Amino acid sequence: MVQFATQLDGAFAALSDQTRRGILERLGRGEASISDLATKFEMSLTGMKKHVSILEDAGLLTTEKVGRVRSCKLGPRRLEGESAWISAYQQMLTEQLDHLEAFLERTKGSE
Amino acid sequence: MMNTAVTAPPRAVLSTPSDREIRMERIFNAKRERVWQALTEPELIAQWWGRGNRLVIERYEFERGGHWRYVEHSDHGAHGFEGRYREIVPFERIVTSFEWDGMPAHVAIQTMTLEQLADGRTKLVSISIFHTVAERDGMMHSGMEGGANESYQALDRVLAALG
Repeated sequence: MVQFATQLDGAFAALSDQTRRGILERLGRGEASISDLATKFEMSLTGMKKHVSILEDAGLLTTEKVGRVRSCKLGPRRLEGESAWISAYQQMLTEQLDHLEAFLERTKGSE
Repeated sequence: MMNTAVTAPPRAVLSTPSDREIRMERIFNAKRERVWQALTEPELIAQWWGRGNRLVIERYEFERGGHWRYVEHSDHGAHGFEGRYREIVPFERIVTSFEWDGMPAHVAIQTMTLEQLADGRTKLVSISIFHTVAERDGMMHSGMEGGANESYQALDRVLAALG
């Protein structure tokens, strides 16, 4: 549960940035290398690597080294920006209802 | 409609009638009045809404048209959520818009309904409907574009008349 919550917070953090949502939308149309993405989003390679690693940590993207090029594609969840948000919302609601249930149990008889 | 039980029934049922609607059902071992209190009293909301994270309730106007804004603080940063109440029926139903700062203007409408069960428990049904880009794109191909063009033409005529 704790790990699940951490992953979810990671997904929120990953999705809170417009460039990162743009990257997911771009990868929804097919794989791209980090340098392709850096060019498309007019950003330094280092800057792009940082965005890619945040998305990778959140499980929204995976990378694979092919020769000298690091190729990116959508992660295990295979979600683009908007559907990732809807999915994160669903997880959040589930966790909220879990916590509401625990709260109601905890405060039983105290009203 | 696809139904996926996430835990043993009747505790929780999750279903996805479409990719833009999220429906959840829970049965709480508490009377409806207590569930309603937990859903509507800010000092109680703060104890569960943040999922274990610290929650700051920045705004709470619990009335039709009223604005709410919560900020959740975790190790991953602060995330703000907000909305406005569309409908409130005491002990029965809350309808609100729902937005996250990270996806501005991607608005969901959330309806929460409470039902007192004969055995003293309470059933909560939550339905959230998202207005998605896919849906917007669908509308573009089904007449919205024409409608917008007609509006622009009408605007052109008004502007022309103004000289």
